[in-house]
Amino acid sequence: MIEYYDISGCYILRPWAMSIWENMQTFFDAEIKKMKVKNCYFPLFVSPGVLQKEKDHIEGFAPEVAWVTKSGESDLEVPIAIRPTSETVMYPYYSKWIRGHRDLPLKLNQWCNVVRWEFSNPTPFIRSREFLWQEGHTAFATKEEADTEVLQILELYRRIYEEFLAIPVTKGRKSELEKFAGGLYTTSVEAFIPNTGRGIQGATSHCLGQNFAKMFEINFENEKGEKSMVWQNSWAYSTRTIGVMVMVHGDNKGLVLPPKVAALQVIVIPVPYKDADTQGIFDACAATVAILSDAGIRAEADLRENYSPGWKYSNWEMKGVPLRIEIGPRDLANNQVRAVRRDNGEKADISRVFLVEQVKGMLEKIQQNLFDVAKRKRDACIEVVKTWDEFIKALGQKKLILAPWCDEEEVEKDVKARTKGEMGAAKSLCTPFEQPELPEGTKCFASGKPATKWTYWGRSY
Amino acid sequence: MVSSLRLPALTSLISPSFTRRSTVSLRRRLHLRLPLAAGFSAQSAASSPTETEDRVDSKKSGRVQDRGSTDRVITPRSQDFNAWYLDVIANAELADYGPVRGTMVIRPYGYAMWEAIQDYLNVKFKETGHSNMYFPQFIPYSFIEKEASHVEGFSPELALVTIGGGKELEEKLVVRPTSETIVNHMFTQWIHSYRDLPLMINQWANVTRWEMRTKPFVRTLEFLWQEGHTAHATLEEAEKEALQMIDVYTKFAYEQAAIPVIAGRKSKVETFAGADKTYTIEAMMGDRKALQAGTSHNLGQNFSRAFGTQFADENGLRQHVWQTSWAISTRFVGGIIMTHGDDAGLMLPPRIAPIQVVIVPIWKKVDEKTGVLDAASSVAETLKNAGLKVKLDDTDQRTPGWKFNFWEMKGVPLRIEIGPRDVSSGSVVISRRDIPGKQGKVFGISMEPSILEAYVKDRLDEIQSSLLQRAISFRDSNIVDVSSYEELKEAISLGKWARGPWSASDADELRIKEETGATIRCFPFEQPQGTKACLMTGKPADEVAIFAKSY
Repeated sequence: MIEYYDISGCYILRPWAMSIWENMQTFFDAEIKKMKVKNCYFPLFVSPGVLQKEKDHIEGFAPEVAWVTKSGESDLEVPIAIRPTSETVMYPYYSKWIRGHRDLPLKLNQWCNVVRWEFSNPTPFIRSREFLWQEGHTAFATKEEADTEVLQILELYRRIYEEFLAIPVTKGRKSELEKFAGGLYTTSVEAFIPNTGRGIQGATSHCLGQNFAKMFEINFENEKGEKSMVWQNSWAYSTRTIGVMVMVHGDNKGLVLPPKVAALQVIVIPVPYKDADTQGIFDACAATVAILSDAGIRAEADLRENYSPGWKYSNWEMKGVPLRIEIGPRDLANNQVRAVRRDNGEKADISRVFLVEQVKGMLEKIQQNLFDVAKRKRDACIEVVKTWDEFIKALGQKKLILAPWCDEEEVEKDVKARTKGEMGAAKSLCTPFEQPELPEGTKCFASGKPATKWTYWGRSY
Repeated sequence: MVSSLRLPALTSLISPSFTRRSTVSLRRRLHLRLPLAAGFSAQSAASSPTETEDRVDSKKSGRVQDRGSTDRVITPRSQDFNAWYLDVIANAELADYGPVRGTMVIRPYGYAMWEAIQDYLNVKFKETGHSNMYFPQFIPYSFIEKEASHVEGFSPELALVTIGGGKELEEKLVVRPTSETIVNHMFTQWIHSYRDLPLMINQWANVTRWEMRTKPFVRTLEFLWQEGHTAHATLEEAEKEALQMIDVYTKFAYEQAAIPVIAGRKSKVETFAGADKTYTIEAMMGDRKALQAGTSHNLGQNFSRAFGTQFADENGLRQHVWQTSWAISTRFVGGIIMTHGDDAGLMLPPRIAPIQVVIVPIWKKVDEKTGVLDAASSVAETLKNAGLKVKLDDTDQRTPGWKFNFWEMKGVPLRIEIGPRDVSSGSVVISRRDIPGKQGKVFGISMEPSILEAYVKDRLDEIQSSLLQRAISFRDSNIVDVSSYEELKEAISLGKWARGPWSASDADELRIKEETGATIRCFPFEQPQGTKACLMTGKPADEVAIFAKSY
């Protein structure tokens, strides 16, 4: 799916991975178009003056920026930054384009690459120096409209994870320490990888408040003729989604791809036996692919003669194709095919008469099963704690920890400092929207002060 | 024999350690150098706006008409083509200037045109067996350095990253000007045997060339494109692929963009450095200059030999692969603008237009408003359900007359007007963007969904083919068949293209460039029959070539 490249932290997306990205893109693009968001494209390059306009923003991102300092042999008078995210590129134009309330709401999105020169362990898809994403940037006349959209988009992100990637996520709000640099508040969908005991931020939807509007002077004349600042959001998800999918669903044989995003949903493999009508078997494979393809199922046949069926089984299992169909002489004689599920290994003989319905049904079951299993595993990792000792114990057991917290930044920093070690510091992942009941007098697990909310904690990517 | 179900794109390629051989980079010559037209937007004399309709008399409506508002002035094409181009881009909100010199912000309307190109080509690429991928945008400088001979022209154009994460980088990184070096580097790792072939991939990406002189869409510091790269076991396959892709581009240009490109082969002088053959599609813009709108190269074994990209054939012998590459970029959007527009602004072919039908409701009295808006909404619904891209402009901040001008300027192919009389008679008025004034306007088209839908779809088809026909006539009337150098010089000086037999030398070709400013655009695939004599030397010539000034 991915290829390593000479430059550390940069990866090559091979067709298998690229088509997963494209399948998600098709869904998401259609959904935001329904919300009247329009696609556009802003330049890759940012001038430093503009980058520095929002103080907190630049503080958060400056260490990660890549700078172009030369063109050809000559040094540039002013070095130019490559976008780590496009707020500072886009908002000067928002200031120019937005004059009156009729120019609002302004809703733009772009699909592009961004660069963040990270030093923490590069990991394919999860943390790379260049990655592909979409970034939506919207401006409204009122905070209410902005707040509404933040949640609408967050719901789309939940759907991408749960309905397409079959990954259970939790919706919640980030702490003040973890929120977007320069924003008002950040909401996210958080996933958890049971095998490594680490949380992972799946996608974010931020309300920027009026912070950027102030810096970039994005004003509008409201209906009363008064000058007012806009309320803004920004929201993004990236190729990191693919990494999460690999980690959640993979098993010892390799990848397991949810049918909804898999480039190839069904692989048809001929199982010839000595001289028994090989041509007939090959024809049956071709016909099967044709019928399935016509029905909109992504199917192909592996007719290579230099590989044995056994080799092909392992190969396609490794690649994660959700359903395998085998056709041998017996199947041919009985006008049936054998279907094998990648997720649980279940086998079934399907009559060729009902092929399409059965295959569709099986793919749906696989999609649902992948989600159900992932959810069970994730839920089994959740540990509710009330004290520091319980917290440390759960952390050692690679759990996703739900703990009552006093919501103080200093306490959060302290937790990070105290848990720093080989495994990486634990941090707050999110405060879930769905809050369990918090009885009076509950104390914060870390500081002992009165707790105000339940928050998820853990190690993370 | 069962044939077609081999798996082209799904070869499992394991990458063992790769040999680092000297690499050769490919200079992608999508754009030829051009003397830039003067300056930026010349907001000179006000252009005359298109006729407003009698039905919308501003005096009677009692509202101030926004005609000739200063922010919507387009320089006439005949006066200053370049200024017209920049004015249209600004007024139609296609693009804006980036803060870094030479970069471009593609605004939604312009981006939607690029998306239309992408959507169509993506389907075609998949149909022809290609898979999309994504390669990194950073190239180690050492890769580029190894290809000094091919990149000498490029090096002043490379953007170099030397600082990352607050630290000076160990090795300078180039922001990709084109991806051959990376692609070939990886192909060498992925291709081992004939079973790994053909390898056919494509990427949609942004590319950076630090150009000195820029022009929105046509030449920008950073632009978007697709670059296809394929590797084959035989020369025949590579040649077939190169021709197939230029054919895909040609069909796209004719059928979707209504641009009658001339497809052909580049001369040796104009062929991409590193390619055996370059095929091109050449378009004639409104100012009769040529625009190279897309290219497809048969790279032969030039790259595989330089990168050591080999495979074991069916007999176990090691051979070098045969490669192709081909690309179309956001420059094509510039081509669409310059081929079809007129003094009122853009004119978009329905198959590319982000908005195909704009509906303008018209009312004078307040009590007419609801009826008109309701009718307009239901017409909009009908057409949307028919799969058309519709915009209902129902704001009451602008007069109908203003809206007519605005949407004409945006190049929307069809306009539907609905006033109170139309509501009572259950019909609408339809105006074509491509036929101005009364001639292009039809009254009394029934609002009944099936009738309206059929009528609108037919008109859109007509507009699509009419735009193509017009472009063909314009092109053909501006190509002169010449048989001598004198005739060629005359044709070029009149601003036209010259087509004549050619078998002279590279030196002669360069001489023509120096003396007239015209270059050989291509040897067109469509060749006249019969014996010919070279226009320069008089000696026998097998083919005619097309000469023109270009962007």
